[in-house]
Amino acid sequence: MSQIKRWFQERLPISGLQLAELTNEPVPNHLRRWWWCLGGTPAYLFVVQIVTGILLAFYYQPSPETAYQSVRRITEEVNYGWYIRSVHKWAATLMIAAVILHQMRVYFTAAYRKPREINWMIGMCLLLITLNIGFTGYSLVFEQLSYWGATVAANICDTVPFVGVYAKQLLLGGDSYNENTVPRFYILHAAVLPVTMIGLLVIHIAILRLQGVTELQFEDEPADGPQHFDFFPDHLYTELIAGLVLMILLSVLATIFPATMGPQANPLITPEEIKPEWFFYATFRWLKLFSGTVAVLSMGFIVFTMFVWPFIDSGLRRLTGLDDISFWIGIVGVFLLVGLTTWEALDAH
Amino acid sequence: MTEETALPDQTVDNEPRRTFLLRFPSALMAFGLVAGYGMFASFIGRFLFPSRNRQRRPQYVADLNSFKLGQSMTYHSPAGESVVLSRTGETGTVDDFIALSSVCPHLGCQVHWEGQNNRFFCPCHNGAFDPEGNPTAGPPKDANQTLPRYQLVVQNGLLYIDASTKSLVRTDSQPQALV
Amino acid sequence: MKLQTKRTVIGLLGILFLLSLVLVQAMEVVRRREEAGITTAHIAVPVTSKSCVDCHGQPTSNPGIVDHWKGSTHALKGVGCVECHLAQKEDVDGFDHYGAHIATVVTPKDCSRCHEKEFKEFDGSHHSKAGNILASLDNFLAEEVEGFRDDESGHHFFNPHSPTPGRPDITEVNGQASAMVGCLQCHGSKVALMGRDGSKITVDDLLPDEKGVPTNLDALDLIVKTEDGRPKFHPDTWPNTGIGRLNLDGSKGSCSACHSRHDFSPRRARQPENCGKCHLGPDHPQKEIYEESKHGVAFRDLKEHMNLDGESWVLGKDYTQAPTCATCHMSGHSRNDGKVTHDPGERLSWTNRPPVSLVLDTDAEGKVVMETDPKKRRELTVFSAEEKRGNMKQVCAHCHTPDYINGFYKQYDDFVVLFNEKFAKPGQAIMGELTKQELITKTQFDEEIEWTWFYLWHHEGRRARHGASMMAPDYAHWHGMYEVAERFYMELIPQAREIADHAEEHGDKDKADSVRTVINEILARPEHDWMPKKPPAELATSVDDGDNSGDDSVTTPDTSSVEDDDATPPEAEESDTTSDADSDGE
Repeated sequence: MSQIKRWFQERLPISGLQLAELTNEPVPNHLRRWWWCLGGTPAYLFVVQIVTGILLAFYYQPSPETAYQSVRRITEEVNYGWYIRSVHKWAATLMIAAVILHQMRVYFTAAYRKPREINWMIGMCLLLITLNIGFTGYSLVFEQLSYWGATVAANICDTVPFVGVYAKQLLLGGDSYNENTVPRFYILHAAVLPVTMIGLLVIHIAILRLQGVTELQFEDEPADGPQHFDFFPDHLYTELIAGLVLMILLSVLATIFPATMGPQANPLITPEEIKPEWFFYATFRWLKLFSGTVAVLSMGFIVFTMFVWPFIDSGLRRLTGLDDISFWIGIVGVFLLVGLTTWEALDAH
Repeated sequence: MTEETALPDQTVDNEPRRTFLLRFPSALMAFGLVAGYGMFASFIGRFLFPSRNRQRRPQYVADLNSFKLGQSMTYHSPAGESVVLSRTGETGTVDDFIALSSVCPHLGCQVHWEGQNNRFFCPCHNGAFDPEGNPTAGPPKDANQTLPRYQLVVQNGLLYIDASTKSLVRTDSQPQALV
Repeated sequence: MKLQTKRTVIGLLGILFLLSLVLVQAMEVVRRREEAGITTAHIAVPVTSKSCVDCHGQPTSNPGIVDHWKGSTHALKGVGCVECHLAQKEDVDGFDHYGAHIATVVTPKDCSRCHEKEFKEFDGSHHSKAGNILASLDNFLAEEVEGFRDDESGHHFFNPHSPTPGRPDITEVNGQASAMVGCLQCHGSKVALMGRDGSKITVDDLLPDEKGVPTNLDALDLIVKTEDGRPKFHPDTWPNTGIGRLNLDGSKGSCSACHSRHDFSPRRARQPENCGKCHLGPDHPQKEIYEESKHGVAFRDLKEHMNLDGESWVLGKDYTQAPTCATCHMSGHSRNDGKVTHDPGERLSWTNRPPVSLVLDTDAEGKVVMETDPKKRRELTVFSAEEKRGNMKQVCAHCHTPDYINGFYKQYDDFVVLFNEKFAKPGQAIMGELTKQELITKTQFDEEIEWTWFYLWHHEGRRARHGASMMAPDYAHWHGMYEVAERFYMELIPQAREIADHAEEHGDKDKADSVRTVINEILARPEHDWMPKKPPAELATSVDDGDNSGDDSVTTPDTSSVEDDDATPPEAEESDTTSDADSDGE
């Protein structure tokens, strides 16, 4: 045993102690509280998505002729195919929800303020990538709803002045949905976007480690007690618990609400009721409220505002002198988001 | 906050029980993790292991009455394999028939029939087989490998072969091609 | 939270995760089981039929044929197009079609290459002989009374009497049209090829040997062929899927009569609608009778539970919910080891087809034994009615007790015997006497009384007997015996008397008297005693008066009618109507 250890240490000159030193970041005390330690949830779900996604890729065939049949085959024929597919679908849903919750937490604790503006913007990129992975993944099933969702989304791109038409062509690989589209969505969903995401995540976490986690002080804690605890093994256990709870949740959801398949995409018939995935409900409703270009541009403006919010926040605070102004704006934003989503969910058309 | 700080408070006389109490949660944790993720991993294994083969099914070849003793025929499976069948007995059971595969037992190449030499020949390593499928030359002869045989079934006086049906025509609708 | 607690929690959650995966595992097992029934099997097109499917499967060709075939067990087992349509070089209707020598019509002989047992059973059945109706009354009706055929020359065209606007091509009338479309689509045509002289070349001309190869080579030269060498079928005889079709290779019948091509669905053959193509209507409403019966009612309700798709369909093993036509008459059941028969006659003890029902003892050739001497009859009988009834009782016994079954058969026998003795045999005797005395011509259907008699036994009498045989009270009575009785008393007897009176007026008193004797002897029997006896002349007049004949006979003062003690008293008119109304209300 010790020989093997020595063999390795001669070649990899790093000791367990050094490793522990490197990884054993002191964790702020507020992460002992269960509601404050969910930052790892999206990351855990991302791992689940990578594993199940790779598995699905073993059977999925990205071409319009075969896409639907291969998904059907995964769902109906392959051993546990329905389970893996359902876990992938539910993990996606939970991941998007977790990302949004994480962002809200950061926002309402004003953790984006100086010096963390850059990390906020990286986080915004991660949000957009997550949403795009969700969108492209949904389209891969090639069922009626996802087909028409993609068509509508591409034509929304088209309404952006000047660049829109190019964005649409880039997205679809042509003027309309064609034989290039599914492979394109596939490579975006399974390679380009996830790899970008991994890169950004590394930077996101590296910056976090460099700056340290924003520390929150709770009133019921003694101010003179230890302010940190060990990552290993204490916080790891917490993450393991969170992970297991997620796995159980995913398995139960997959069993009770397995991923289904709508009718196969038919370019000649638009379904009576088309809806995007739930995370685009608010956007979809917004686009219905305002016409064409106005809606798209205003949407873009909102995203841009969110992107640079750390700077707007500091400007607003300076102008108004109210330290809490972003908090209240955030409350309005959340109500708007929840309202639009519910509206879309309840409205048939 | 770790128990190490609490340890010195414990008395020494209940050492075994304390050790157990210390070790039990670790063992439980290890068991739980291995059991849960292990099962999950086994699902993954089953997922990757191809589902049962739907691409073989007994296919009708001929009726026993018209396939006489000493005759031989070539059956073309839907997947395109040619199978040479011959009848060598008259018991009316499956033992009467030989259906030779054209897959060389050596390394899986396709053999072909050489009429002038009255043998099956494998171009990969010069293996050769007699009409019954017994090896006569090349690596198969050295290893005494015969040509594999197809499974045959006789049912109600009809001969079926368990051949590959890989080139499938789906009964459900074909996906529509995009224009 | 302490580390120890966390470890324990992780351990417990891990076990919970395991449990949730066990749930997943259970779902997987359930799904696999379900899947076996719901996913469609992939069909592999046999190489020999690949080009057929490629062409005929095109939307511009006949994709229906191909799609039907894809749903068949044939397709599943690798039996393609050529396997059935294959023709021998000598076959008269074979032709080269893209490299294969095939025939259009697939005969039972072709099917027998694989389905030998079924072929033999069917060949021995009454079904297979359905095509031999040439000399029957029904055939005469359709060919000559409804259509046209010259008995001497067999010529069956006549000229239209005025043009049909828009169809200048209608220059002649085919007198066989009713027989072709009406009779032969059920009974089966005599398949014919076109002869160059316009003749029909049938099995009679070809004289095929045992293998179906034609022996009369002269006939072969006459056959009209299309440019690509395909022999032309005579459109009077093809298309046809009649069950007793007389095929060019000498075989009888058509398997697709019941096993519709090209999916040959066992599911369909198991359902009553399948038999209902032919067994329905005024003369043999078996389908309607079945629907009225408890059996049919149960079937409609429980159809979904009857395992109709099952590979095996054995009563008592795969289902017991309700019987269909096939269940009782053909299908296997648990008491005969699931042995299916393709001869529905194997379980019938009466034949209700002829005017007088016959006990279905059959001889070596499968013909009904007509011998009356008990000893000789026993010698001739190979397959007795009793044995056949025993076969049927085995089916009944899956749901009914022996007492119940025997009770049913007692009721059925009594009913058939009542019809035979009270109406059928007397009717036959009257018709026989009229023919014997030459008061009616030998030609059928040229006198009213012949139609009357035909209605009595062929329509109403059969309805009654079939109704009794399959537990349909309304068919047994109101569509059956009631109409039989009315036809007998109110039409057959008066019409026969009228013929006799007419004969007497023309000086044939002897003939008239012998007919009257037969009638009077019949009516003197106790079962006809309810009817007041009257002089024939008066009765004849009352018929002419119209439908009030019954009232007339009662109100007409007539001493002769009240000579019997239990004759209807004059005031019976009122009480009759009352009782009639009562029974209607019941």
